[in-house]
Amino acid sequence: MARAAGLALLALLVSGPCLWAQDAAAGPSAHGFLFGDVMYVAGGDAPEGFKLGQAVVHGNVLLSDRVAFFGEVSLTGRDTGYGIEIERAILRYDFNDAFKISAGRYHTPISYWNTAFHHGLWLQGSVARPEAIKFGSRFIPVHFVGAMAEGRIPESPVTYAAGVGNGRAANIARAGDAGDVNGSRALFASAAVQPADLTGFRVGGGIYLDDVDADGGTPADERITSAHVVWDRGGLDLVGEFIHVRHNAKGSGSGVTSTAAYLHAGVKLPGELRAFMPYVRWETMDIGEGDVVFTGVVPDYDAVLAGVRYDFSPYSALKVEYRDEKFDGAASVGRLFIQASFAAPITPG
Amino acid sequence: MTATSAHAGDTMKGLAGHGAAVRPAALCLCLGLGLAALGAAPGGVAAQSGDVTVAVAIVVHPATQVDNLTFQELKAIFRGERQFWEDGRRVTLLMRAPVAAERGLVLDKIYGMDEAQFREYWIGKMFRAEVASGPKLVYSADMARELVTVIPGAITFVPVNDVSPETKVVRIDGKLPNEAGYPLR
Repeated sequence: MARAAGLALLALLVSGPCLWAQDAAAGPSAHGFLFGDVMYVAGGDAPEGFKLGQAVVHGNVLLSDRVAFFGEVSLTGRDTGYGIEIERAILRYDFNDAFKISAGRYHTPISYWNTAFHHGLWLQGSVARPEAIKFGSRFIPVHFVGAMAEGRIPESPVTYAAGVGNGRAANIARAGDAGDVNGSRALFASAAVQPADLTGFRVGGGIYLDDVDADGGTPADERITSAHVVWDRGGLDLVGEFIHVRHNAKGSGSGVTSTAAYLHAGVKLPGELRAFMPYVRWETMDIGEGDVVFTGVVPDYDAVLAGVRYDFSPYSALKVEYRDEKFDGAASVGRLFIQASFAAPITPG
Repeated sequence: MTATSAHAGDTMKGLAGHGAAVRPAALCLCLGLGLAALGAAPGGVAAQSGDVTVAVAIVVHPATQVDNLTFQELKAIFRGERQFWEDGRRVTLLMRAPVAAERGLVLDKIYGMDEAQFREYWIGKMFRAEVASGPKLVYSADMARELVTVIPGAITFVPVNDVSPETKVVRIDGKLPNEAGYPLR
């Protein structure tokens, strides 16, 4: 009798979602992580010294067998205190593997790096995201408020996502959290192929369409297209991505193109040194002459960086990185970054 | 998936009889610790399992309407790429704790990853909201075998020597663990 009761309790706590479908009183199951980092920066024009990065709480809650909530809140250190931001809040209903529908605030799936790593610094192979996707990026809308359908096409290695939302706010670094700034909804669609026989390989791309009404800028049609290729297996980490942004001023037949690209490569050392992963990255961002949205807002950018990641514990990493950057064609600036990052599992009590 | 029945009781005679004790300490440890299945082995970045010389049987909840999976389907389920059975029930993956030999075999054959890569893989999937939760941790073959029979939609793996008659073993590519060509050995 006692054994049966113990098994039942264990099953309830371990299996959660399946049993909740039968007994909603059991309550939801939650899993979460706390991502954080602290960094030392030397060189360049920006203030040197220690910097506390973002503290990000990420949680997944299975509310029923079909309904899940994904939330993410960040605390970002600023000169005057800490800024609190709801990074993601997604309520999703899973019909099956092929069709899941959700609403909320997302990482816009127009860039691989943007959705794969974003605030999860411990997850990514470098100290920071590529410039085009960086924290507060204006090159692409890194966040998106709206609704999305996603899934895996049955019997295929193809995943897809498609959505509609508010698009950029008047501050083009922001999502339209308080509504659509111009009444013209943004649309996006993306797809990726991950062959089962090629674990770790992924190729994909996407398209994003919106009308942009930036503060002090000229209203414009925006079309973003992107493509990426990834190989992440056997200690080899290769990511390449190209992003193409086209802006057409309203009432004008001509458009201007701006582009960004990066190639990131890392490799784990063999044997006893497998906790070390040296990496290099090349980045470029080229703002088109006369781009009515980006001119004076987003600089041209070129960078080469090299670093080493050292996983000194299962959930902690130390990265040492040297970055040589050039903004708007000015002389290059070298900076050294030393960053400790972690992902701490949050276990429900 | 095909309907080639393969109840362990029919095919694994003589392999039964292990005690089905889910210990109170294990019960306590298991409460809410599903994330531990990601494998933060103490004292090392990438704990490696010992050699595995026996086959691993894939077992599911008895009511799950599946008797055979292709190896590719099995990979998709264990990797969280496929999260629902054909009857619409959500898959619950039960994963042995680090250092168990059969876990090492599954990481090698199904995931193609070491412990560190496996951990990062599932944290990444949860971070990207691709899955609502990671694998659930079990601490012994007994616990895996017991839980898979009481959790609807559950799937796990046990050493073939720990399969009991009441366990529902799934064929992989039409083969049982004791047959030539079985991929998980």
